[in-house]
Amino acid sequence: MNHKDMEQKLRREARALLEQGKVGCIIGFEAGSLKFTTTPLITSEPDATSRLVINPFIVNNLSVFLTEVKGRVGVVVKGCDSRSLVSLMQDNKVARDDVVILGIPCSGIIDLGKVEKLVGKDRDEIDDINRDGDRVVVTVDGSKKEFPISEVLFDNCLGCEFPTPQEYDILLGEPTLPPSDKYQAASLARIKQLKDMPATQRWEFWKSEFDRCIRCYACRNICPACFCQRCFVEESEPTWVLPVPRWQDNLMFQVIRNIHVAGRCTDCGECERACPVNIPLRSLTREMYNLVDELFHYKSGMDKDASPFLAAYEATDTEDFIR
Amino acid sequence: MTQESPWEPGLLGFLCRWCSYAGADLAGTSRRKYPANIRVIRVPCSGRVDPLFILKALRLGFDSVLVSGCHPGDCHYQTGNYYARRRMAITKKFLEYMGVEPQRVQVGWVSASEGQKFAEVVTEVTRELKEIGPNRLFADESQGHGTEATP
Repeated sequence: MNHKDMEQKLRREARALLEQGKVGCIIGFEAGSLKFTTTPLITSEPDATSRLVINPFIVNNLSVFLTEVKGRVGVVVKGCDSRSLVSLMQDNKVARDDVVILGIPCSGIIDLGKVEKLVGKDRDEIDDINRDGDRVVVTVDGSKKEFPISEVLFDNCLGCEFPTPQEYDILLGEPTLPPSDKYQAASLARIKQLKDMPATQRWEFWKSEFDRCIRCYACRNICPACFCQRCFVEESEPTWVLPVPRWQDNLMFQVIRNIHVAGRCTDCGECERACPVNIPLRSLTREMYNLVDELFHYKSGMDKDASPFLAAYEATDTEDFIR
Repeated sequence: MTQESPWEPGLLGFLCRWCSYAGADLAGTSRRKYPANIRVIRVPCSGRVDPLFILKALRLGFDSVLVSGCHPGDCHYQTGNYYARRRMAITKKFLEYMGVEPQRVQVGWVSASEGQKFAEVVTEVTRELKEIGPNRLFADESQGHGTEATP
């Protein structure tokens, strides 16, 4: 099923849900103010459902809104988003009965930044961007340029394991397969590069990255797994980290944030996209995701009835680091 | 002019109240010799130790942090050390990925009867720390020292 058919189905289903009073509002995507971009749409108006879109640019993880919206809600999710949602259910943040999940079998989201860089044009100078199997066709000034998806999809999409939602009420298309293994390398390229460095160089790398951080907390606010009522960075007795954006405090904040979302993070990549100073945050979150998987064979957001990762244990958990 | 004394590693220990703290006590009462480089904070359970404590200690300039509790199955609260084990595993491995030396985060199981083991762990960790040298992770070059006053 292509995006247009899914979009039509979504609009029909969303309208029906609202008209029949099955949900109080719908959370989906609509066209953004800039060309190609999309923006979240939260509406309780049946007529507004005609503005809902599905295309290869729906970046946001909409499950982040669920802890804030009251009542029964219809929400549009991709594979990774559905796992964030399941993770919220594991933490009793969202009740399964309070959501109607409209699942999109995802085939990967196109990174407009990568496209702009490849063709050397701004997004509003690009005429069209079309996905065609393993290639993406970009039309600029009437001429077509083709790129393999490895060059234009978001890194986290290239390493996606479960593109079809894990939990849904209505699936808007046929289930999709994850990208082939050959794209994994591209997805994990930066992590590999870091691991190949000596430890001191790695620390220096993160030190210089976090020197840029302005502590806007965009990464925290956009993260569905970061749902503490009061974040430790705002504690004043004791003060764990100073609010001043110095690299030491910035780094400490991010390390602890990563530990807090261990077993909740689904590698949706939102933190890295939200970062205004382009810190490669996904190289931290994805490594934590991998660690949790390698050490404990646990993947976030797969089973809504499972205990949260850090609130559970196995008698056989790894001990090789203990004296 | 006083002669500058050679650098000695500073180790911060979070010891569980039921096992490791009693183990450390036993090491003392049975006159076991171990380096005086450890400073001890008594916690109710190894499960009480937040990864934040470890980061904060390293940030304040401690050369290493030792988290020690009861052996699996021996927890006074039945399961506290199992949760601690998971939490410490990811904390330690994640910090190693970021470039922190593995010796800076130490985890151990020491029971109340293992005074000897406690002395050995502290001796061993202190020796390892002398090999890798002082913690300069959070050192601020512009200020010329690694530690800062507690805010």
